[in-house]
Amino acid sequence: MHDPAPDFVPELPDLNPVIHGKLRLALLSLLAGVDEAEFTWLRSKTGSTDGNLGAQLMKLEEAGYVSVEKKFVLRKPQTLYRMTEAGRAALTEYVAALKQLLGAAI
Amino acid sequence: MDTETSNVELTERLKLIESMMAEGRHGTARWGWTFVLWGVAYFVATAWSSGLVGGPVWAQRLLAWPVTMIAASIATGVGISRMKQGQPATTLGRAIGATWMAMGISLFIVLMSLGLSGRYDTHVFVAIIGGMLGVANMASAIILKWKMQFACAVVWLASTVVACFVTENQAGIAFLAATFVCQIVFGIYAMILESQRRKQRSEVVNA
Repeated sequence: MHDPAPDFVPELPDLNPVIHGKLRLALLSLLAGVDEAEFTWLRSKTGSTDGNLGAQLMKLEEAGYVSVEKKFVLRKPQTLYRMTEAGRAALTEYVAALKQLLGAAI
Repeated sequence: MDTETSNVELTERLKLIESMMAEGRHGTARWGWTFVLWGVAYFVATAWSSGLVGGPVWAQRLLAWPVTMIAASIATGVGISRMKQGQPATTLGRAIGATWMAMGISLFIVLMSLGLSGRYDTHVFVAIIGGMLGVANMASAIILKWKMQFACAVVWLASTVVACFVTENQAGIAFLAATFVCQIVFGIYAMILESQRRKQRSEVVNA
């Protein structure tokens, strides 16, 4: 005998497409654990190429999830990335949505 | 994509988030070599000041500790300046760095004052070094929630207590034993942990 269909089916959350890309997700997660990080450090942690990393960071910047600061240290250019409050909120929301989607599976 | 595959992929993403966040925190914990360096420096200074290395007696008494400690400080400074290139800044890293820097400056001032005033005594020397290193290790262990480092703090504090009640030679032995366990053995252990972590990391994103 089949169970009767429930009267109310909870709506499953959508996953933020900006964060959903694996490299962008990794970058935001890395930045969540630090105050600021250099481009070279992010590259070494993700194993990504310069071009791909730069493109994904730009998407995160355009979404307002990371901020960029470019400066010179001992005459060498240095690019620092920081997670913004909006980025932190978006990642928190993304994790909550993931957990809700997975439900009892975790 | 069926539900099961989708769940696997979503679970992978959760794991990716956890591992990457941990990676950021671990970036500040590559200090095993400094423990080994200072442990060796203490042994060299002790051997030199007690005449095991040779040389004139005045040099053994006046130069052994200052020269060795200054050399170790310079080596630490050079190593840290190289290590910091490209590393992220973290609140955790700053908190631990501040603890060790405060300990190092305080220890330098206290020991230098004791040496210059002529009130140097092995019991006092071991008690002060053990106490200060015990405090720094304990603060760091509490911040990092690292039981092994907490054990080192306990060993240093135990050497402080022992130094107050035993003979001068026994106090020296307690100091060398604590140095061996808490600097050299712990430092090598930290370096092994770091190298294991380095092997495990990196390809998480591409997996």
